[in-house]
Amino acid sequence: MQARDLTAPAVAFVVIVAVVVGGAAALPFVTGGDTPEVTNLAEEQTDLDAVRVDAAEESGTISMESSASGKTILVDQAHGNQLSEEKRSTLVSTLVENGHEVRFVTQEQARGQAWNQSLRNADALLVANPGQPYTPDQLAGVRAFNEAGGRVVLLSDPASSGGASAITSLLGLRVQRPSSGGAGLSSSLGVAAQSGYLFNMNEYQRNFENVYATGGSGSLAEGVDRAVFSDARPLTIDRGQTALSTIEGTRLSTTRRADTYAVAVQSDDVAMVGDTDFLEPTNAYLAGNEAFIGNLADFLVNGEKTRNAPAPPSSGSSERPTAPTRPPTA
Amino acid sequence: MSRDSSVAQARTIFVVAIVAAVLVSAVLAPVAYDYGTSAQSDGTVSVITISGTISGTTVDGIAEDLRNARTNESIEAVVLKVDSGGGAVAPSERLYLEVLRTAEQMPVVASVQGVGASGAYYGMLPADEIYVLSSSQVGSVGVIGSGGSVPVPDSIIRTGPDKAQPTADQRERTIESLKRQFVGRVMEHRGENISLSREEVAYARTYLGPEAVENGYADGIGSLPAAIDHAAELAGMEDYDVVRQEPPNTLGLFLFATETDNGTQIYKQSDRTSGVVPVTRPLMVDEVPYHSPEVIANASA
Repeated sequence: MQARDLTAPAVAFVVIVAVVVGGAAALPFVTGGDTPEVTNLAEEQTDLDAVRVDAAEESGTISMESSASGKTILVDQAHGNQLSEEKRSTLVSTLVENGHEVRFVTQEQARGQAWNQSLRNADALLVANPGQPYTPDQLAGVRAFNEAGGRVVLLSDPASSGGASAITSLLGLRVQRPSSGGAGLSSSLGVAAQSGYLFNMNEYQRNFENVYATGGSGSLAEGVDRAVFSDARPLTIDRGQTALSTIEGTRLSTTRRADTYAVAVQSDDVAMVGDTDFLEPTNAYLAGNEAFIGNLADFLVNGEKTRNAPAPPSSGSSERPTAPTRPPTA
Repeated sequence: MSRDSSVAQARTIFVVAIVAAVLVSAVLAPVAYDYGTSAQSDGTVSVITISGTISGTTVDGIAEDLRNARTNESIEAVVLKVDSGGGAVAPSERLYLEVLRTAEQMPVVASVQGVGASGAYYGMLPADEIYVLSSSQVGSVGVIGSGGSVPVPDSIIRTGPDKAQPTADQRERTIESLKRQFVGRVMEHRGENISLSREEVAYARTYLGPEAVENGYADGIGSLPAAIDHAAELAGMEDYDVVRQEPPNTLGLFLFATETDNGTQIYKQSDRTSGVVPVTRPLMVDEVPYHSPEVIANASA
């Protein structure tokens, strides 16, 4: 076979390849590229103003107005009380800065006569989320302490259901469950906490469980325009004052009913708050929380307790008084 | 003699030709049938499956299927076959945007099989119509995540107080922002149909099929074939083909089904089978049912 015989097929091969490959390369220039038009859907679909959640303003200082000095405040730590160090320090440091003494009662210091001895030397008692029951003697001591003018502040979170049963007996307070209806406050002090937590789906701070409360009456409400409570429980009061109640549209988790629920109440020498999160350092300066904390500290030190109460056994009176010795005053 | 031989030769050739014709016809007939069928067809409905927990990987596959549907000229409509309780937030938003991009180009109909909640509901929002079964559950328009972070030990060096340790306040704001985005898009896409207020939607409740149709979370009760037929109708097709895009199966479930040597068996409802599957290694469970404990996850039923 001559090389000349291969020339024609070779030329044909080259021409065909050149036409096909060259045509393929040239085609996009004629028809245009196949890059699709891209619209920025993510930007179109995002309303930046609607999704912006601003940081809450924290301002003010926690200050006390009371002129009382040198009072002794007892903090119950003997009954499995659930109050974190951070929350406790908010109140304790306020009291100490204003010249008051804070003592903590541990489980060891609450046995037998030691509990009443501690109460005898104190002017006020702070009880937060107790998880263990009180003995009859301890309850009688607290009741006598309160009746003698000793201030008692109760803090109760919804989660502390174990503590709720303890509070049930303490000072005759009773936890009220919605299923049992609105009646039934057997408490001599007329303060009770309902089960469930409060929320507001319409107006809230950062999260639906952070509800706003506005000031009512009583010393605890002074200067408090609006406070923020997180995961709070509603309180009911028979007589006395509703210090703070939630804004309209707030609902209770168990009933889903919209209402204005009391979250801080005071009755004579007893005050109760259905939350402890307001004491968290990150929450203490939200809205008017700092004013409320100051009021609570003032409430603790403003009592006029009779000396040497509850009375020691040696004085002849019982450790367990059965009848009130000091009628409540409005 | 030579005449007989030529006749026999002609007969042989004839037989060979017939046999060859039958064989060639047998091969070509299906091709011709398909050609005839597709010639009559007005187009194709692509059925794309969204199942299991929505993650970056699952959305990658679904996004590829949706992109193919948009670029393939024969595909005229898409049906989303949904059975998922949600997943991570960012992939759910990606899914939403991919479905939206597709819905701008062709009819998209969602068909909820069992559950279409949280991130899965987020993803199907741009669909022209949402079909549910009477036993389907849809909704759960909300976000769930941990509120705090584990303290970083002193041995770790950080460059700022918020590095790897956001505060509870920051977490709440993040989750609230994600919720607002989700609820806002539900109101936007279901706005005309939905009878619930923004506040009621934000309760994040899951609704059963009939109630979902009544309150506007869904458009009607219907099975997958009905959804496919309706998608074709929206695309103006009387005769149509259907292609199904199934997600790739993972090996995990296969391993669970075969490793049953352990006496203790833990049962878990699988998304990919109709019954319960014995699981001998619970830590390897292929999917967390309907929510993740991470902050970036959507809640569900």
